[in-house]
Amino acid sequence: MPDDFVSARHAEPDVSKSLLPQSCQLIIFGATGDLSWRKLLPAVYNLNIDGVLPSHFAVVGFGLPAEGQIAGDADDYIRQRAKDGIRRFSRQPLDEDHWADFARALFLVPGSFNDARAYALLKAKIDAVDQQFGIPGSHVFYLAVPPTLIGTCVEHLKTAGLISDPNEPRAFTRVIVEKPIGRDLNSAVDIMQVVGACFAESQTYRIDHYLGKETVQNLLVLRFANSIFEPLWNQKYIDHIQITVAEEEGLAQYDATTGEMLATRAGYYEGIGALRDMVQNHMLQVLCLVAMEPPWSLKPDVVRDAKAGVLNCLRLMTSTEVEKNVLRAQYIEGDINGNRVPGYRKEVRESFEVMKRPLPSESVHSTTETFVAMKLFIDNWRWAGVPFYLRTGKRLPKRASEVAIQFKDVPQILFNDHPDVPLEPTVLSLRVQPEEGLAMRIASKLPGPKVRIYPVKMEFNYSSSFGGTTPEAYERLILDVMAGDATLFMRRDAVEAAWRFVMPILDHWERVRVRDLPEYQCGTWGPVEADRIILPDGRQWRTL
Amino acid sequence: MTETQVHPRTVPLREVERELLRQMKHLQGEDERPIQRARMANLVIYCSRQERAVQLYDEIPEVAAVHPARVLLLLANEDSPSTELKATVLVRPLRNDGRGFGFCEQVTLEVGRGSVHHLPFAARALLIGDLPTNLWWAAPIPPPFAGPILHDLSECVQQIVYDSLGWTDPARAVAAAATWMDRVERAEKSGRWRVASDVNWRRLKYWRRMLTQALEGAEDRGLFDRIGEIRVEHGPQAVVQAWMLMSWLTGQLGWKVRAGQVEPGVEMAWSCHNATGEPLVRIVRREEGPHEIQRIRIGFHVDGRDSLLDLFVQDGRRLAARVGGVEEEARTMTIPPHSPAELVGRQLSDRERDPVFRASMGVAQVMARSLLE
Repeated sequence: MPDDFVSARHAEPDVSKSLLPQSCQLIIFGATGDLSWRKLLPAVYNLNIDGVLPSHFAVVGFGLPAEGQIAGDADDYIRQRAKDGIRRFSRQPLDEDHWADFARALFLVPGSFNDARAYALLKAKIDAVDQQFGIPGSHVFYLAVPPTLIGTCVEHLKTAGLISDPNEPRAFTRVIVEKPIGRDLNSAVDIMQVVGACFAESQTYRIDHYLGKETVQNLLVLRFANSIFEPLWNQKYIDHIQITVAEEEGLAQYDATTGEMLATRAGYYEGIGALRDMVQNHMLQVLCLVAMEPPWSLKPDVVRDAKAGVLNCLRLMTSTEVEKNVLRAQYIEGDINGNRVPGYRKEVRESFEVMKRPLPSESVHSTTETFVAMKLFIDNWRWAGVPFYLRTGKRLPKRASEVAIQFKDVPQILFNDHPDVPLEPTVLSLRVQPEEGLAMRIASKLPGPKVRIYPVKMEFNYSSSFGGTTPEAYERLILDVMAGDATLFMRRDAVEAAWRFVMPILDHWERVRVRDLPEYQCGTWGPVEADRIILPDGRQWRTL
Repeated sequence: MTETQVHPRTVPLREVERELLRQMKHLQGEDERPIQRARMANLVIYCSRQERAVQLYDEIPEVAAVHPARVLLLLANEDSPSTELKATVLVRPLRNDGRGFGFCEQVTLEVGRGSVHHLPFAARALLIGDLPTNLWWAAPIPPPFAGPILHDLSECVQQIVYDSLGWTDPARAVAAAATWMDRVERAEKSGRWRVASDVNWRRLKYWRRMLTQALEGAEDRGLFDRIGEIRVEHGPQAVVQAWMLMSWLTGQLGWKVRAGQVEPGVEMAWSCHNATGEPLVRIVRREEGPHEIQRIRIGFHVDGRDSLLDLFVQDGRRLAARVGGVEEEARTMTIPPHSPAELVGRQLSDRERDPVFRASMGVAQVMARSLLE
């Protein structure tokens, strides 16, 4: 383990004592962008409503809108944009009183990320806000920017003197780095090196918002706070595990009434695809929590050691195995929510038109995958021979993510001896979204004189059991950064290990360079070709 | 104060889940216990007429009372030119006895005749995972002739429930049904288990039981080969019901169908072949009466004499059997009243493939082909 990780355990001695968020400023790079509008500003607003923000707190945005210029007052601009995002996306409705509190501590410094003068202005603003709100100089920089700009941002931050020493006792500087970290192993290492040159590992929080979801966190509780599961959690009792991340959305968002394109992720997604966007980070991180060995404590680095242990055991695929065990596909025109929606290639073309950018030549007949299904193995004692099936895609019938643990069939005697009606296997499914919760499917006898077996589902649902609305993942994670708790953030070695697993697949795809991918209609559960990964094993993809 | 009902509400499709939850919470009122959703299955109901949808709307609580399910009522309205998909949500309480709540979730999806293709997509998005999914085909067109919509809807279901009561052009429909059923159920080769069930077959349960009891011991005495004619009389629309019972009985007796003829709207008849002769099977339509089998007469020729086993509906609520010429009380069996909705509800939990039904469908197909040739 690099020395940096070891020292990280001791760098912030207060972490284990107090998990309360500390007074600070949150500085959002890319505050005028999509992520900030949809997720970050609504998340901070919700934290404000819930009264969990530190007493001395403010948000400063940094960046330029897509159109390049802001007409009028910059603070007014970001406040209007935040209000719009909260109206559309917040889990709690806009309340004018709370809004007034929130808005008075929200500012924007317009500027380009590679303009040194803009950083001088940013520093001046940060100092002024510190003074105005009594903040002791602690700052969290949230880099909601494309990976290519991360190096530029952190270097400018360092040059502008905005990064404090990690051992500074009175105030902290922390940086949140958004995924994707790189587009391959080499670029990820480059980014982490450049960030590492400016921030210590203990100051760096590589965010994967999936890890902030209640169900994902509940995985640890489920496994290690209940006596019945852990003894079964191994190759002796588990037949296979399926992890599904299904998105209803495509590349672009449209106005429901006019059909006009409201926003598009084409600039980021085209050329990146589902493997990099979903599998390399979200899905492998969730996989880690499902498959890791019991950590000896809940200290951040102990948990992160256990997770890294899983990634290091992933069996790397040969080209032949990639052909056999991995399938990529792209959506074509179909039906979502009662509306016809265009196929991926058409959306790419239209998105670039809307963005007023020339369509790259390789995107004219794009082979970016919007769906990936794969079978993988973890080569350790616990999981020897147990396949993990991962599946993710855009424009699937519904937004639904889950981890399903399917237990081995009972012997084909007694109640399972009828080949015509096989017993449904026992399944424990953990829903990550939209209705966070878990369910267990078991076989039960139907009432009556005959012995007839019927599958029943025992369900636990967060919102119906605990009431209220479950906090969004970003809320939890932003609070954790303010509190200095890195448990739910990706460590550098884990990011590298995840890329190491994905690289043989990307390399193989790069080598074979297909002209067309398998296709699936929007609103279906993916291409029929995905069955070839799982059906020959006598299993099938789950319907969520 | 807890509300006892909510009103159906039309919402955008993407808001359906949220609206279901909202209505459940509204019904629960101030009670803070976890909401208990009653759902053992998904039930997708497809119909093509507004009047039928209204009827089904009233029947759904009855189905859910027998077998709690999330119900998706799909109406492909033949009379509507609308191209828009309309989603209407309704939650009905199943129980509110102070021990907790059970809610039946219903979503009605309506489209006009030109937009039927939206329905399979919309239904797919609303199904609950990990629960058995059933399709109740409630359109008048028999499933074998339903075309792509049934194909698309059945892609993710484990059971297709249909009702052959009232099928028009029964010979063609029955001839096609066995082949269609075979095709549907063979989907299991792709790893997916699927079964097709006819509610009409379920209605025959007590007739079959009565016939079995009445003919008990007859085989040992060689009486099966002494049957000269079986005549079944049925009310309007119940021809397929009578046909299925006869195909079952013919199969049980080990007879082979030789030839058939039909007098439209009046009678169908088949000559069969057994060890000793050529018995006749006749299905006769009554002009009036309930839409079900009314009477079965089985004529024997034993020791040079004709005798008759007469089975009939008595008082509308029991089956009776009497041997002609014998002075004794008719043997009777009470038939519990089952509405069509209740029969469907019971079918939802009955997912095993019934080999007797399949064998009977096979015989019915032979009988149908003999009429069509």
